[in-house]
Amino acid sequence: MRTTYFSALFGLLFILVSCEPKMEEFKADPGSADLSKYIALGSGMTAGFADGELYKSMQAFSLGNILATQFSQAGGGSFKQPLMLDDLGFGQRRVLGIATDCQGVSSLAPIAMPGTPNPGNFLPVGAQGPYQNMGVPGSKLLHILAPGLGVLNPYFGRFSSNPTTASIIGDASAQNPTFFSLWSVEDAIWFAKDGGYNVADSLTPVPQFTAYLNNILMAMMANGAKGVLANIPDIMSLPYFTTVPYNSLVLTEQAKVDLLNAAYGPYGLSFSLGANPWVIQDLTSPTGFRQIQAGEMLLLTLPQDSLKCGGWGTLKPIPHKYVLDAGEIAATRNAISALNAVIAEAAQSKGLAYADVNLLLKQAEQGITFDAVTLTTSFVSGGLFSLDGLHLNAKGNAIVANLFIDAINTRYGASVPRVVINDYPGIAFP
Amino acid sequence: MLIEKYVTSALSPKFLSMKRTSLLIIALACSAFLLKAGGFQVGLQGQKQTGMGLIGTGLTLGPSTLFFNPGGLSFLAPKYGAELGISPLMSNVSFQKTLPSAYEASTDNPLGTPFAAYVTARMNEKLSLGVGVYTPFGSSTNWGEDWAGRFLIQDISLLSIFVQPTVSYKVNDKLGIGIGLVYAYGKVSLSRALPVLGQDGKEGRAELEGATNAWGFNAGISYRPVPKLELGLTYRSTVTMEMDEGEATLSVPLTLASNFPSPNTFSAKLPLPGSVNLGGSYKVNDKFLIGADIHYVFWHVYDSLIFDFEKNTSSLQDSRSPKLLKDNMIFRIGGQYTLNEKLNVRAGGYYDSPAVEDDYYSPETPDAVKIGLTLGLSWTPMPDLDVDVSFLYVMGLERDVTYSPAQFGGKYKYNAYIPGFGITYRIN
Repeated sequence: MRTTYFSALFGLLFILVSCEPKMEEFKADPGSADLSKYIALGSGMTAGFADGELYKSMQAFSLGNILATQFSQAGGGSFKQPLMLDDLGFGQRRVLGIATDCQGVSSLAPIAMPGTPNPGNFLPVGAQGPYQNMGVPGSKLLHILAPGLGVLNPYFGRFSSNPTTASIIGDASAQNPTFFSLWSVEDAIWFAKDGGYNVADSLTPVPQFTAYLNNILMAMMANGAKGVLANIPDIMSLPYFTTVPYNSLVLTEQAKVDLLNAAYGPYGLSFSLGANPWVIQDLTSPTGFRQIQAGEMLLLTLPQDSLKCGGWGTLKPIPHKYVLDAGEIAATRNAISALNAVIAEAAQSKGLAYADVNLLLKQAEQGITFDAVTLTTSFVSGGLFSLDGLHLNAKGNAIVANLFIDAINTRYGASVPRVVINDYPGIAFP
Repeated sequence: MLIEKYVTSALSPKFLSMKRTSLLIIALACSAFLLKAGGFQVGLQGQKQTGMGLIGTGLTLGPSTLFFNPGGLSFLAPKYGAELGISPLMSNVSFQKTLPSAYEASTDNPLGTPFAAYVTARMNEKLSLGVGVYTPFGSSTNWGEDWAGRFLIQDISLLSIFVQPTVSYKVNDKLGIGIGLVYAYGKVSLSRALPVLGQDGKEGRAELEGATNAWGFNAGISYRPVPKLELGLTYRSTVTMEMDEGEATLSVPLTLASNFPSPNTFSAKLPLPGSVNLGGSYKVNDKFLIGADIHYVFWHVYDSLIFDFEKNTSSLQDSRSPKLLKDNMIFRIGGQYTLNEKLNVRAGGYYDSPAVEDDYYSPETPDAVKIGLTLGLSWTPMPDLDVDVSFLYVMGLERDVTYSPAQFGGKYKYNAYIPGFGITYRIN
C-alpha cells in the first residue's frame, strides 16, 4: 500500500536527522622530515620563560612544547621538559595586580607574585634526564656550546647532565636528534636589555656568531637531522624598549620649571610647562648628563617610584643601565640585522627551515589578527608579550609556533597542523 | 589599560528558532512555511508547497497562497479557509579550520520551530480577505562557548514574526491581484567571547539582546491565460528592523570593568531582504501537476552590521562588521500527483545560490550553495479537511571560506532536516 511506503520513507528520513555533515579529516604528515626525536634549542621562549621567570604552567606553553605537541601528530615522539615544581620558579615571576605607588596612587601594574618558591625548584634534576627541551633562558649561542655552563646559568645548572662539565650542545646531540629548532635572541638583545651598560654582555660580533652557529649546526646535524632556525626580533618590536616615553616628565608648575632651568640652564638644558625629556646619565658628555632625545629609549625596568618621588630624571640623572641611547640603539639594530643575515644564510646553505620572527613581530607592531582577536606589541594591552616586556606570553609563543610550523611545512613538504592561537592564554587580569 | 576595540559585531543567522506554543494560539487552522536557504531566510510558509520544492508563486494551494501570492487569494475555491502548520527545523553546521589544522567543530543548534497560520474569507465574487502569521526569517546557531570562533560568535538566535492582513481582487476569471500589509516583529539575542582573560581563567563575554518591529508589504499578481496554466509574480518588500534600546551585558575581569561599561544599550539595524518572485504551474492532466519558481532576493541590503553602543570607551568601541552580501537567486521545481480523492503526494527540489562572499563568510551565517529535496503528502479524510505532511532535506555544499576582517576561516558544511505538519480546513 502506498501510504505504508510513504510512512516508511518518512521514517527513514527522520533517522537521518541526527547526522551531522561529514568532512574529510585532516591528515598530519612529516613530509621529508623525521620528527621522532625532536630537540629544542634556544633561549627563554624556547624554554617557556615569561613574566620574568621560568615557571611550571608556562612551560606547558613553551615554544618547544607547543611544537612538540603538534609534531606528535606527525610522527613526533615524547618530549620531556625540566619542569619547575610550581608557578614561582626561582621567585622572579610577575603578575598583574594592584600596586600602590610612592604617592599613594593605586593602579593596575605588574607586581611580584606573592608566595615562596618550592625549594625543590633549586635542586638539580639532571639525573631524571635526558630532556628534549634544551632551551635555556639567557643563553647566547656561545653558551649553548660552553662546557660547564651550569655553573653560570642556574636554569641550565638545574637539568644539565653535569653542571660543572656538560654543555647544552653536548647533552642535546648525545640524544641523536632527528629534528631540532634553534631560536636564541640573546646575542643581540642581552646587550640592549641592560641598556648597553654591561661590557660583559656586549653584542656578539658577526664572525664569532657565524662560527658558533656553524658549530651548533654541525653537532646537531651530525646524523642528518633536519631542523628550523629563527631570527632575532627588532628592539622596536619589544615593549621592554618602547613602553616608557622619553618625555614623560610632565611639569605643571612654573616654579618647578624655573627651578630646573636655574639648575640646568648653565649646562644647556631647558624645561617648560608640559611634557619634557628626562635627564639621563651620559658618560660621554662633559657634565656626565644630558636630556634624553626623541628616539632614545627608557627601559621597562626603570623604577617608576624613583621617577615620581626619588627625583630621578630631574634632580638625579637616570642611570645609564635604564637607558638605550641613540648610539646603542643603532649598534643593537645593526647587530640584529647582521646576525639575522647570518641565520638566514645558514638556513639556506644547510637546507633548514627558516622562521622570520623579526618580520612577524614587525607586522605585529601595527596589529595582527587571528580568529577575531587583534594583537599588538604594546605592553599588556597588546596581548602578545608577557609582563617582562621581552618574552612573549603563551599566545605569542603559539603564534611563533605557527610561524615555525609554516616554515617546516614549506621546507619539508610536511603537513604539521597549526595550533589554534586563542586556545593559549594571554595576560590574566585580576 | 587600554584594550583596543573588542566587542561584538555579528548577528546574522539563518533559520528560525521559536519559542513554541504561545504564538500558535493565535493560529487559525492550517499550515505553511517557506524555507529559503540564502542568508537567514526561512522558506516554510506552507506544508503543501514545502512538499513540492517550496514552489507557490504560480500555484494556488489553499490559504497559504496569502503568503505565496496575494493575487491568487481571490481564486481560492472555498468561502472560508484556514491553514496551520509547523516545521521543526534541525540544522547542523560542521567546521574544519583552515588547513593545516586538526581543529574541527560543529554546532549544537536548538530545534527551530518556524510556523505559519492563515485564515481567508471570500467576501464576494471579486473580493477576498485574509490574514496570515508566519516566520519568514530566523536562525538559531550555537557553536558553544569555547570553540575557536568564539570571539566572532558563540550563539545567536534571530526570530521574526510577520503578521500580514491581505486583500485580493479578482479582476476577471484570468487575473487576480492582491496586496498584504506586513507588520514585522523581530527579536535577536547573541553572545560572543571578549578577548580579556581573568585570573580565574575566565574569558570576557558580551551578551546582546533586543526586540523591535517594522512594516512592509507583500504584493502579487496571479494570471491564468488558459485553464491548465497558472502564472504568478510577486514582490515582497525589504523590512528593515531598527533596534534602539538593545541591552548589552558585558562580563569582564573586575579591573577592566570601567573599560566595558555594563549594563549598556546599543542600537543596530538588520535588514530582512525583500524579493521578486516569478512562478508558474501546469496541470499535465487530472492527476498530475508540475510547477516552478524563480526568486531573486535583495540580499545586497545587508551591507554591514553595526552595533552602536550608548556608552563607548577606548576598549568598547562601536562595532562594524562588513557583510557585503550579494543578491541571490533560487530555482525551485516541484510536482504533485493525485493518487485518489483522499491522497495527494508531492516531490520537488531547489537550488539556492550563496548570498555571502567567500571573504566575508562569518560562522553566524551558514551560507552555501544549497540543494533542497522535498517530499509531501496530503490526506483528505473528509472533504473539508486536509492533513499535510512534508519533509525537506537541505544539503549545503562544502565551502572553503574566510571572514577576512577577523582572519577566521575554514571549511563549512551545512545540512538541515525539516519535517513539517499541517492541517487545512475549508468551509463552503
